[in-house]
Amino acid sequence: MLTRLGDIDRMFRTINLLRNSIDGFLPDFDRSSPWTAGWPGEAGTPKTNIYDLGGKFEVRAEVPGFSKEDLSVKVQGNYLELSGSRTSEIPEGYSVHRIERNTMSFTRSFTLPAEIDADRVEAALQNGILRLSLAKSAAAVPRQIAIG
Amino acid sequence: MSETTAVMKKEDTPLKPTLQLRSVAPEVDILENEDEILLYADLPGVTREDLTINIDNGKLTLTGIRKLKAEGAAVWEELGDVEYHRVFSVPQSIDTANISAELRDGVLRLHLAKSVGAKPKKIEIKTA
Repeated sequence: MLTRLGDIDRMFRTINLLRNSIDGFLPDFDRSSPWTAGWPGEAGTPKTNIYDLGGKFEVRAEVPGFSKEDLSVKVQGNYLELSGSRTSEIPEGYSVHRIERNTMSFTRSFTLPAEIDADRVEAALQNGILRLSLAKSAAAVPRQIAIG
Repeated sequence: MSETTAVMKKEDTPLKPTLQLRSVAPEVDILENEDEILLYADLPGVTREDLTINIDNGKLTLTGIRKLKAEGAAVWEELGDVEYHRVFSVPQSIDTANISAELRDGVLRLHLAKSVGAKPKKIEIKTA
């Protein structure tokens, strides 16, 4: 009987061990994107995280090889749209051995859980990660109510 | 009549984190011309300090760690902290002393120059 937390933990560790050894059998191309594995429809769209920090949303999106000019961000109400296109970088005179990276052009939209203030959106691009900071509109910001 | 009870001592070791960093193979493009082999790898979020490239005994190993340093409650999550890891076999014709790498916008460009002896040469035919 698994009664203690330690037992459960040990069980999970065994499962992880098993998973790692299964990963070892699989060829590399199966492991390139664990999050979207088995979701071919999502290939070519950047993986995105959204965090809620109370007063604002933070967005992180994986956009390797995109420059500032290649990307566009649109915001309206609680709607966020990311789009971009990356051109192929294959220089002249090279023969190709292997092409795995997408020459992708994507559009991805999100409905955020709250309205955002379009004037207070900050975007930065660093090491192939797009970071957005989207301040919520005044009505959507949680407020502390003093008990009288 | 004596009663024996099996006593099994439980070891109370502190819990260790179960999940290590997920190891992921980065997507690469490999191109070649007469002078060099050119490798592109997508490593979004990896900084120069967290990327190591080793070449040893004909094996080129790329290892990069990405830490997102996220805060707040995740509303939607598709990417996490990962370890990018991939090993390539490098032909002997590569001059290992002459490899250059640059990392920009999350893309690694690795130039592996061929050694002089491996470059194609045109043979002149002498007329008798």
